[in-house]
Amino acid sequence: MSLLEIDNLSVDYRVGSGSLRAVDHVSLRVEPGEAVGIVGESGCGKTSLGLSIPMLLPGNAEISSGSITLADHELVGMSEDQLNQLRWSAVAFVFQGAMNALNPVQRVDRQILEAITAHEAKADKHEATERVLQLLDLVGISPARAKSFPHEFSGGMRQRAMIAMALACRPSLLIADEPTTALDVISQAQILALLSSLRRSEDLSVLMISHDLSAIKRVCDRIIVMYAGVIVESGRTEEVLGRRGEPAQAAHPYTQALIGAHPDLHGERVLAQGLPGHPPDLSKPIAGCRFADRCPYAMPVCREVVPPTLAISAGHIAACHLLSKGAS
Amino acid sequence: MSIESEQRAPARAKVLEVRDLVVRFAARGSWRHRGAVKAVDGVSFDIEQGEILALVGESGCGKSTIALAVMRLLEPTSGRIISGGENLATLRGRALRRARRRIQMIFQDPFGSLNSRQTVFDTVAEPLIIHKMGATSDERRTMVMDALDLAHLRPPQRLAQSYPHELSGGQRQRVAIASAMVMRPELVIADEPVSMLDVSARAGILRLMMDLRDRLGTSYLFITHDLAVAWVVADRIAVVYLGRIVEIGPATSLVEQPAHPYTKALLSVSGGDDVGPDGELIEALPGETPSAANVPEGCRFHPRCPRYVELGMPEQCRSVDPHLHVIRRASAPRPDSAVLSSHEAACHFASEESQ
Repeated sequence: MSLLEIDNLSVDYRVGSGSLRAVDHVSLRVEPGEAVGIVGESGCGKTSLGLSIPMLLPGNAEISSGSITLADHELVGMSEDQLNQLRWSAVAFVFQGAMNALNPVQRVDRQILEAITAHEAKADKHEATERVLQLLDLVGISPARAKSFPHEFSGGMRQRAMIAMALACRPSLLIADEPTTALDVISQAQILALLSSLRRSEDLSVLMISHDLSAIKRVCDRIIVMYAGVIVESGRTEEVLGRRGEPAQAAHPYTQALIGAHPDLHGERVLAQGLPGHPPDLSKPIAGCRFADRCPYAMPVCREVVPPTLAISAGHIAACHLLSKGAS
Repeated sequence: MSIESEQRAPARAKVLEVRDLVVRFAARGSWRHRGAVKAVDGVSFDIEQGEILALVGESGCGKSTIALAVMRLLEPTSGRIISGGENLATLRGRALRRARRRIQMIFQDPFGSLNSRQTVFDTVAEPLIIHKMGATSDERRTMVMDALDLAHLRPPQRLAQSYPHELSGGQRQRVAIASAMVMRPELVIADEPVSMLDVSARAGILRLMMDLRDRLGTSYLFITHDLAVAWVVADRIAVVYLGRIVEIGPATSLVEQPAHPYTKALLSVSGGDDVGPDGELIEALPGETPSAANVPEGCRFHPRCPRYVELGMPEQCRSVDPHLHVIRRASAPRPDSAVLSSHEAACHFASEESQ
């Protein structure tokens, strides 16, 4: 039984008089204890997908099809009251730039305590206070600093405090949207190390959304690559991105371009070609493969027929006509 | 590219010499500068013609302050900034304006650095008007179109009439590059020019910068937090920590044989080497960078230094501030470099290890 099952999810945004499909029939699973990474560039739909799980999409967005099942509960169509029971206790969210979401005029321990008491009405005050200190300790903040105000913390420490808060009601799934983007290299590594250790110690499933392949490579078991609202490839991180010393086996040209875009200190000292052009306008209908306009290998069929999703090996899939051509 | 680099003259002039640059900010609530923040605390480096020097470090390390001081957008507290035989640190008024033509800057945020109400043409033409370059409007028009073409904004005629909101992030950064290049500067200071762009657009911008270096001999002071990008783009890399250069050398030497423990930590994180046998991540460095208002005694890195701990916390690290010293006489960072660049590090125990 998967912890999270998303089937054929579509998310539409009303824009002016028309609409734009940011997520288009996406299906994915997260198993208990598993860390899954969603990678893609800005506008690919990864954040909309993440926000749709706890039903936190903005007002001009709606789920137009599909289902989201979290620990046997169907979330699509659930009432706000029922959702509030699940938010924080079943699924918690660390937002992009979350470290700036702390209340600047309230001490950090107080804010975490509020998160507990708001969701667990029956929580004993003394026990809850104890738990705040444990949570801070868990994320590497000494209890001596618990009474600090957010401005007394560095960016990395504020992000740790946000992670502590997200874990306040012992969720089974943590959705982390760009959890390290605004942080420095060393602080990023520290937060990633924290996420990877929490997975083990707290038996936490993680859905990490990022544009940073190396962050996903280091934390996640599986990777899902999104482009223009659809999943173009997914598979075991080790296989798709490659292990140290072994080449990546990414099958989709977009994944290959993403991998090539960042220089590898263990590889050759050359600058990648980059990927000219931009993703397609999603408010207009697209025939064929969405990546065709930027794909160095595009064939006539790519502009006419939507590529089928094909299995490459166990658990590794990609949607590209090149693969069906090779197979036939 | 390689053909042109062979044609370059063997002896190269220095376009910038920075000596003992210090930038202090008065800390809030301080009394007679007692709590001064030393954002830049004695930094020296050279850039020769056609060379790309990367300043690598984390936010708050002072790398952007160095750039702003070189541009004289910030007043240096002391030190010399020599360009074209003049000390920019002491120039004023008209002389400073003239000197600034030689040095142009590209900023991190192509969304914020362009005026949204100006066409691309007006944005790129503006520096020409400010510096009274180009005798006629026709001449200026030609210079603008050339600059757009140089920045691969094609077709220039059409793009010149567009507004920033019609352009992608990568195109906007090309406009910023065009408005720097229209002055034909000797040196371009590029402060995190790709960190706000999508991954797929980054390589194009970096490639353009390198291409302009090869075609026009432009030098760059390239500021980045990303050691891997610095490695492929720059000839030499300087690693900055808490207002000081702690290691400097040819890019390959520095990446392949780092001497300073801070550089090693940055490399292990950037290269994804901070992974343990079970796939768990190992903290590359403990703690946080201290505030520049409160620089540690002795070696500024010692409170976080893994080597300091390994060596049994030697007294020297706590009491003596290490200065850059030669670790390795390296080969030329580029085939045509005038001088051999040595690889230097500011660590009391750097040389022992490299033997």
